[in-house]
Amino acid sequence: MAFSLEDRREKPTPKINDLIRQKLITKEQALDWLRSIYEIRFFEDKVYDLLGQNIIKGASHLYAGQEAVAVGACAAITKGDVIGSTHRGHGHCGAIGNKYAQTEDERQMHWNRMMAELMGKETGYCKGRGGSMHIADVKHGNLGSTGIVGGNIPPAVGAAYAEKYKKSGAVVLSFFGDGATNTGAFHEAMNMASVLDVPLVAIIENNLYGMSVPFSGSPVEGAGCAANIENAAERAAAYGVPAMIVDGQDAVAVFLAVNDAVEHARAHNEMTIIECKTYRWYGHSRSDPRVYRTKEEEKAWKERDPIVVLSNKLLDEKLASQEELDAIRARAEKTIEQATQFAMDSPWPRPEELSKDVYVEESYPADVLAKDKDNAKKAMVATRAYESLLKTLEGKTKKEIADKAKERIKSEYGMTVLAMKDAIVQAQAEEMRRDPNVYIEGEDVGIYGGAYGATKGLLEEFGKERVIDTPISEAAIVGAAVGAALRGLRPIAEIMYVDFMPICLDQLMHNGAFNRYMFGGHANVPMVVRTEGGVGRCIAAHHSKSLEPWLVNVPGLSVVMPSTPYDAKGLLKAAIRSDNPVVFIEHKATYGQMGAAPLDDYIIPLGAADVKREGSDVTLVSYSRQVMFCLAAAEELAAQHGINAEVIDLRTIKPMDIKTVAESVRKTGRLVTVAESFCMCGTGPEIVRQLFGYTFENGRTGFDYLDAAPVMMAAADVPPPMSEPLENASIPTPDKIVAAVRALL
Amino acid sequence: MAREVKLPKLGQTMEEGTIVNTLVKIGDKVSRGDVLFEVETDKATLEVESPADGFVKAILVENGETLPVNTPILILGEENETVEIETRPSGKPAAAPAKPDAGKSAAKVHTPPPSEAAETPGPTTRVVRMPKLGQTMEEGTIVTILVQVGDEVKKSDVLFEVETDKATLEVESPADGCVKAILIDVGQTVPVNEPLLVLADRDEQVPQRFITALVHEGTAPAETVPEHVTAEEHAAAAPETMPSSPPPKPTAPMEPAERLFATPRAKLIAQELGIDLRGVTPANAIRIVEADVRRAAQSAQKAAPPVTAAQYTLGQKIPLNRLQRIVAEKMLWSKQNIPCFYLNIRADVTELVALRAKLNKTAPVKLSFNDFILRALAIGMQHYPIMTGQLDGDFIRLAASLDFGLAISTEQGLVAPIVRNCGTKSVYDIAAYCKELIERTRSGKLSLDDLEGGCITVSNLGGFGIESFIPIVVPGQTSILGVGAIIDTVVPSDGNLLVRKLMTLTLSVNHKVVNGAEAAQFLDFVKKQLEHPDTLLD
Repeated sequence: MAFSLEDRREKPTPKINDLIRQKLITKEQALDWLRSIYEIRFFEDKVYDLLGQNIIKGASHLYAGQEAVAVGACAAITKGDVIGSTHRGHGHCGAIGNKYAQTEDERQMHWNRMMAELMGKETGYCKGRGGSMHIADVKHGNLGSTGIVGGNIPPAVGAAYAEKYKKSGAVVLSFFGDGATNTGAFHEAMNMASVLDVPLVAIIENNLYGMSVPFSGSPVEGAGCAANIENAAERAAAYGVPAMIVDGQDAVAVFLAVNDAVEHARAHNEMTIIECKTYRWYGHSRSDPRVYRTKEEEKAWKERDPIVVLSNKLLDEKLASQEELDAIRARAEKTIEQATQFAMDSPWPRPEELSKDVYVEESYPADVLAKDKDNAKKAMVATRAYESLLKTLEGKTKKEIADKAKERIKSEYGMTVLAMKDAIVQAQAEEMRRDPNVYIEGEDVGIYGGAYGATKGLLEEFGKERVIDTPISEAAIVGAAVGAALRGLRPIAEIMYVDFMPICLDQLMHNGAFNRYMFGGHANVPMVVRTEGGVGRCIAAHHSKSLEPWLVNVPGLSVVMPSTPYDAKGLLKAAIRSDNPVVFIEHKATYGQMGAAPLDDYIIPLGAADVKREGSDVTLVSYSRQVMFCLAAAEELAAQHGINAEVIDLRTIKPMDIKTVAESVRKTGRLVTVAESFCMCGTGPEIVRQLFGYTFENGRTGFDYLDAAPVMMAAADVPPPMSEPLENASIPTPDKIVAAVRALL
Repeated sequence: MAREVKLPKLGQTMEEGTIVNTLVKIGDKVSRGDVLFEVETDKATLEVESPADGFVKAILVENGETLPVNTPILILGEENETVEIETRPSGKPAAAPAKPDAGKSAAKVHTPPPSEAAETPGPTTRVVRMPKLGQTMEEGTIVTILVQVGDEVKKSDVLFEVETDKATLEVESPADGCVKAILIDVGQTVPVNEPLLVLADRDEQVPQRFITALVHEGTAPAETVPEHVTAEEHAAAAPETMPSSPPPKPTAPMEPAERLFATPRAKLIAQELGIDLRGVTPANAIRIVEADVRRAAQSAQKAAPPVTAAQYTLGQKIPLNRLQRIVAEKMLWSKQNIPCFYLNIRADVTELVALRAKLNKTAPVKLSFNDFILRALAIGMQHYPIMTGQLDGDFIRLAASLDFGLAISTEQGLVAPIVRNCGTKSVYDIAAYCKELIERTRSGKLSLDDLEGGCITVSNLGGFGIESFIPIVVPGQTSILGVGAIIDTVVPSDGNLLVRKLMTLTLSVNHKVVNGAEAAQFLDFVKKQLEHPDTLLD
């Protein structure tokens, strides 16, 4: 694969009759293209009208003028192929829906559901949760449409990887605009697609303006310029992939170009970039006065209206009479009128169902919960026994002593003793053996074995197809995982540091976490983002934060933070099996921490806290490494100060097991939360918020049982400093926990 | 033909009654026997029934008004009859005391003002108000709310527990219905007749405005509308959207209570253990926590003497609790209005001590000295009934039964509940009654009945080693007996010196009723009873 740029505008477009003779299409299909273009056009005109009447509310970015791109491109794929759409997505949704409609009734219903979605009605494709910018029928090969420019491209790459991995033969069309080619997501995604060799066709709809800024300049005084090139397709040179430029007003030209690219992708798992030169009739949105372009320019483009271009071809090539074309037009108009009436008559979504479909509802059998309770206790005891054996057993080397101790634990407790990082490796390996849809992608996860050794040995066992070293492209890593998950795989994406999460937060939040809800509950995104955080290695502010409060602030995400090898293994396995997107955050200071775990296959239910130490005087609630600090503090409190602290390990921050916390506070009356994330709006305040809202069987709330104001310990409001004494000063430590508890009692 | 309904005399001693609930409205058709009003007397809440069939033409009273017996309260008539009401007919006893405003308000026909029309609730809606649960009750503090919005309640189900200056009492539901709104919160002190709760049939919608208006009518500041007021119609509660709320009624001025700082858990535990937080001192001087309450509960469980003084620290400002405030008022009133004389006598209780010790080996209920003293007083009063007298205009009215007060010290302060009918009780009966009475007192479960009446109170400080003291007569009673410690004393007897157990009795007597000679004879009689205790066992 190498860069080439073919400008197809330079050569005449073949006749429709030629295509029919070559059996590429039928005459009926050509006529149907025109019908689809008309339907999209009337739909957009109607939407513009209804926006003015305030019947449709919110944003609507209209596709009128660009119909030949969506219709021509979708004509070149078959059912089973996949598209990825944008905030200007009515055309894509309309064209692919027509492709799937078998009967006239189905076609009418397709437009009905589109119009209902724009009105925010329950009968819409996304039950009114998505609206104009997120309109998609994800059940029919649509990855959905995103509202963030460029944000839809990484999932398309992941989807294409999934089709290649599954050997389905399907290809992915990723639509996006000229503006998107200036985003990092575009670059990351194109680059990753080019190295992964995936069946992807990237379609740049260059309508010349990114909102108001011209892509390559405008004669209008004061207008800006977004790129230093005229053709976005030239950027293919950066990725060493083939590119084409076509007349986006000509459905036939678009069809032919996409058809060639799709065939190439199917045959060789290789991508192509196609730039379609086109134009939007309306402004960016309804409120856009279009001052950045001239009336002359608009007039010139409208003379090349896709309706005119295709109608003329059909007439010139004697494929249809004017009467037949008029009939097509009338039929399309009627379809949209009926769709409008349907949408107007449709019911609103019910506010009682506001929270439905944010998550795939998951529950665990009682025996799994009970088994975890037993295992967790046993693992604590066995780990303590192992630690004391290390002190008492004799041997020449530390390794010999450790091996002896492990043998003893195995024979006495039936448990293995392993390091945190090995627990994580084992969890992934076991799940990859169990389910061929599980694969790993990330930076240095392959031959290097992960920055902290958490994927060591997996490349050897599972090969490059399932353990993928990616470019340093966080947005593409997470975005690709979203796309692959939407297409049925179960990706584990590793982000080396949680500090890098802001780089890919758009992908994680808007696509990973929100897709299910935005698309009316029709999408599943079963993916895990593994990452690590926390201080402890003196690597300063860009590599030491704990950002879980940012992540729990995202509806649709689950956030898991283990404190022991037992928890890490069981929770990671459960996270991989979960149908929801899960962020799994390890602590960088715990990878070498040893602990006992069962020998057999087990999972730990997400959303279940673990009481790691029972007590009566105060409840310490924590997670991740700080649980270990709490346990150390609790021992000192008991030994030195006669205070009996209960230590709860939340394990899963979201969903939070507030019941276990509340029951404990009911007993002790005092709460101290201990976290390593920043203090403001942190997890501690969230625990307290949920505790206040928790109602017991007797009608009392968590608030009623408090005998003192809760204490929320967290990291200081400073960027984590490098210097070790400062680093320690910035977070809760056992001595500070002891002091806080003593001050409370 | 129009017919006046007058406030009937619903009991022998009834002189006046307070209208607590008006159960009909103008235009209602009523049948003979239908309940028109609920009236509170000094004894009980009673119902005024319709004397005939007819239509309510006018209601001459308002809830909360206290009226003399025989005051016209309602006019019945035919359906289409026009009734003119000018002034209250004058055929009523002139001497009957009435509130100064009773005459005024009785003259006006009570029709709902037009502004309330939009807020008029449905036919089954009724407002439960703070009843006057005793003669002296002016307000009550809500201790427990036993129902929730949405609950179905039956007539007589207990809705609230209310603490008054005398006791903790229960507010019962006046009817069957569904709780539509609860207008007050636990801990709130509510004047008599303020609305507490709204009842209606389950299907009947009670307008939010009506509820909000009731809340405004109450003493609760508008900002602190309890959350559950809006339980059924959450969104509509904004107080500023109330166009026509009636102006707040003038209420009995409430003393600004000092805010009590206690943790939620401390409040909860206090409620569970029946501890009044106002009497709890926080160890950290900032806020009351669970441990403070538990400490208070423990010391309350310990026997009365010694009353713990250890909780207080010098320089501390101790909030005056309700009980102590009442004691202060009553004692001041007594000192100002009851001219007393004081008698001292020493009783030789050597035999009594021996007898008591002997009996207590087998007695099912341990006998205390107070039990014997109460019995002795009962016998004494039967001989000297003037000792039960109370000045009543031109008469001295003697008590119908021998009810004696017994001063009991509690965590919250001094209480003197009544031991009823001592004249008909054996010393064993008295002992059993007192034991139970003391338990109820200490656990805060006295009823109003336990606190009203009496002709004498026994106050025994002997346990603290006090030899003699002068107690203050409880208002409404004739005298009070102060009992001192039993002291081994050398006494001459027939030329010998004997060691005898002597107990000093001090009687404070209302000189308005009784003179010295009568009281002296009475006290001497009582002394002799105690010195020959076998007679007390009869």
